[in-house]
Amino acid sequence: MKNKYIASFEQAQIAGKNIPEFRAGDTLRLAVTITEGEKSRVQNYEGICISIRGEGTGKTITVRKIGANGVGIERVFPIYSDSLEKIEVLRRGRVRRAKLFYLRDLAGKAARIKEIRRK
Amino acid sequence: MEYIVEKIGMSRTIGATSKVVTLLKVKEAKVCEVNDGVALVAYSEGKSMNKPVEGQQKKYNLSAEFNKFATLEVSNTEAGDLDMAPLANAQTVKSSFNTKGRGFTGVMKRWNFAGGPGAHGHRFHRTSGSIGNREWPGKVQKGRKMSGQYGNEQVTVKNEVMSFDAENGVLVVVGSIPGANGALGRVKVVK
Repeated sequence: MKNKYIASFEQAQIAGKNIPEFRAGDTLRLAVTITEGEKSRVQNYEGICISIRGEGTGKTITVRKIGANGVGIERVFPIYSDSLEKIEVLRRGRVRRAKLFYLRDLAGKAARIKEIRRK
Repeated sequence: MEYIVEKIGMSRTIGATSKVVTLLKVKEAKVCEVNDGVALVAYSEGKSMNKPVEGQQKKYNLSAEFNKFATLEVSNTEAGDLDMAPLANAQTVKSSFNTKGRGFTGVMKRWNFAGGPGAHGHRFHRTSGSIGNREWPGKVQKGRKMSGQYGNEQVTVKNEVMSFDAENGVLVVVGSIPGANGALGRVKVVK
C-alpha cells in the first residue's frame, strides 16, 4: 500500500483519465502519440496485453505483437501517460494466469488465445 | 527560509516526458523566539521526553508533542506558528539530508575501484591493493581512498519545486533527495 500523500498526489493526476477495464490476454489497440521535431502524429499499436504491473502513475502494461517476418515485439506503456491518446479493447481472451510470458516461447497457432464473451 | 521536512517517498508524473518527483512533508513547527530572522523552533518527532525539554516547553508555552528544537532561518517576526507562505511561491530549494548509512564499506562500493578478476588463480579480488610509493615519500599520502564508513553523512542537493500543498504541508520537488523514506532533513528556499 502506498503512503496516503503519494496516493493522493497520484490520484489527482489520474483522475481525469478514462481507461477501459482489461486483463492480461486481451487484445488492445493503443493510440500512441509520436513527436518528430515539431510535428506530432498518432500511431496505432495493436497486440496482446501479456502483463499488467504497478499501481498509481507507475502502472504499466506490456503489449506483445508479432511484427514483420514473424519477429515478436513487446512494448511497455505507462497506461496513464499523456503520450497514450486512447486505449481500446478489441478482444477479450480466455487465459488462466495474470502474466502471459509463456507466449514468448510459443509461435504460430500455439500462440493463439481463445476469445470469451464477458458480461 | 528553512523548514524541517520529512521525506515521504517518490513518485512520477504522467506527462509525455515523465518527471521523477520526491514528496516531502513539511513539519509543523512553533517559533519560540526570533533574533534577526534566525529563530529557535520547536517541532515534534517521536515521543522522547525529559526534564530539560519539559522546562523549555514550559518556558515557551508549548504543548507536549513539540519535543525537539532546531535553529532555522524564518520569515516570522515574532513567536507563533512557523510561516509557510515562502514555500507557496518557491521555485528552487536546497535540501540537506543524511544519506543512507552503509556501514563499513570496501573500496569497490565506496570509491568505485575496479577490483580484480574473480577466479582463475587470482588473489586480488576486492581488496584495495597497494596504498603507498617507496622509500620516498615513505608514508601514505593524505586523502588516500580506503575502506571505511560510507553513508550517513549530510548531503545537500538543489531541486526544482513542482508544487506545494499548503493544506497538507506536502512539498513536491523534481528529482531525488538523499536519505531513506521517513528521514528528517532541512529544506532551504533558494529562489
